[in-house]
Amino acid sequence: MEDLLKDLAQAKPPAPEVDPERMERDLARITAMPRPAKTRTSLRRFSPVLVAAAVIALAVVLLPRPAPPVQPAAPPQRWHVLTQKWELMIVGEPANPYTVVLSATDERWAGPDSQVDVTQKNGEVAPFTRDDEARWETAGKPTKAPQLGGHGSVRIGPMQPAVRKIDGPEPNPFAGLPADPVELKKTLQTISGDKGSPDSLNYQTAMLAMQMMTANISDDRRRAAFEALKTVDGVRLLDRMTLRDGRSGTGVAIPAPPTFQFTGFETQLVVNQETGLPMARRNVLTSPQHGLPVTTPIFEEEYLLLERTTIDPILPHGVVVNAAPESPIIER
Amino acid sequence: MEDFSVVYRECYPRVLAYAAAHAGRPLAEDITSETFTIAWRKLDQMPSNALPWLLGIARNLVRAARRQMWHDELTDVAADDDYAVIELRAALATLSEADQEVLTLIAWHGLSAAEAALVLGCTTATFFVRLHRARRRLRAALSTSNFDRARESWKTS
Repeated sequence: MEDLLKDLAQAKPPAPEVDPERMERDLARITAMPRPAKTRTSLRRFSPVLVAAAVIALAVVLLPRPAPPVQPAAPPQRWHVLTQKWELMIVGEPANPYTVVLSATDERWAGPDSQVDVTQKNGEVAPFTRDDEARWETAGKPTKAPQLGGHGSVRIGPMQPAVRKIDGPEPNPFAGLPADPVELKKTLQTISGDKGSPDSLNYQTAMLAMQMMTANISDDRRRAAFEALKTVDGVRLLDRMTLRDGRSGTGVAIPAPPTFQFTGFETQLVVNQETGLPMARRNVLTSPQHGLPVTTPIFEEEYLLLERTTIDPILPHGVVVNAAPESPIIER
Repeated sequence: MEDFSVVYRECYPRVLAYAAAHAGRPLAEDITSETFTIAWRKLDQMPSNALPWLLGIARNLVRAARRQMWHDELTDVAADDDYAVIELRAALATLSEADQEVLTLIAWHGLSAAEAALVLGCTTATFFVRLHRARRRLRAALSTSNFDRARESWKTS
């Protein structure tokens, strides 16, 4: 009979391959969901147990203490950030411009002794829409195309992942900032500096607060950063915001300074109301440009994971650590 | 949350394999995702050995999926499997769903009898009885006319 089970084990269908991206994306989605509150249990029901526990606790306190056992060293805890990024760029000759989208996954493990950054994982540059694809084909399907209005070119096709390891990284700069929103806002404004216009100062302050919210800080500081962010001049509150994967949260928006390709757009931060953790930061058009309608995200950074972990960094195979990254933006 | 993440990453491949074996690959990832979503909501109930508990959740989802669509779990068989393997799978397919489940939890998903009993929601003793009967029926199926018919269908597919 045992042989029959062994034979059956041989007939096991091949195990499906795990899609790590889907796995991590699902994990981020699941852990972003609220969990039902714990059921309240009557203390009276457990009163005999509580009395017994109190007696045991008292006995333990009164007994002479043995020497503490030697504990194995706990594995180092790291701040783990997994982000999925998208960015639009206008490329091609002025007579035949088209939009490409750069998409990639970035991952960071920041520990006290070292920091590991994996960038451009599953990275790709491709025409944004079918219309853009047709224009790219008209241009002869180039593997690199000049940035419209810029000095560089963009490589079209898959990106090469890169790994950077820093030993002895600088300590988390946000960890020691005030946990009071008013004090924190003043501190962030001081860090932003007083150069430039008030709008520029407000934007820099808002960006610092957003950056702080994704850092390894205590929950009260994260809440303070969001409260401070809400009070920065020019920031407006957004109601329910929906992300690409269907998750939703509340958010804030602030008008953004122009780049060399886009002018009218705002930076939005979407936050999970339950956890207080940021879900996404994105730049969204507030006026149509380059054939792109209002509300098009021209840059988006979705936070799939923001967690403390003891898991060692997972590095992509075949990538040399600290080798020069092959950027999709190159000199013309 | 960290504990959940550790369990998630550890058990994900096994839940996925279970879902793929019993509901087919197209549904496997969705069932796995839903399994962990339910697990997250019931995190307070998650035992330290989480795998049997997770497979129990996956099992309910597989059953629900099967009620919605017809599925033959042997359709995923690789074409280059040897004849003995094909014979055995065909014999397995002639058994009841309950018998298949008892056998595959041990032979395919590597659970102990106690763990498999947890998945099925029965005692270990009951599980052993069901396993004994299922093995007997599988052996019988290997030499019945039903199996011959199944074998003919494999030859022609």
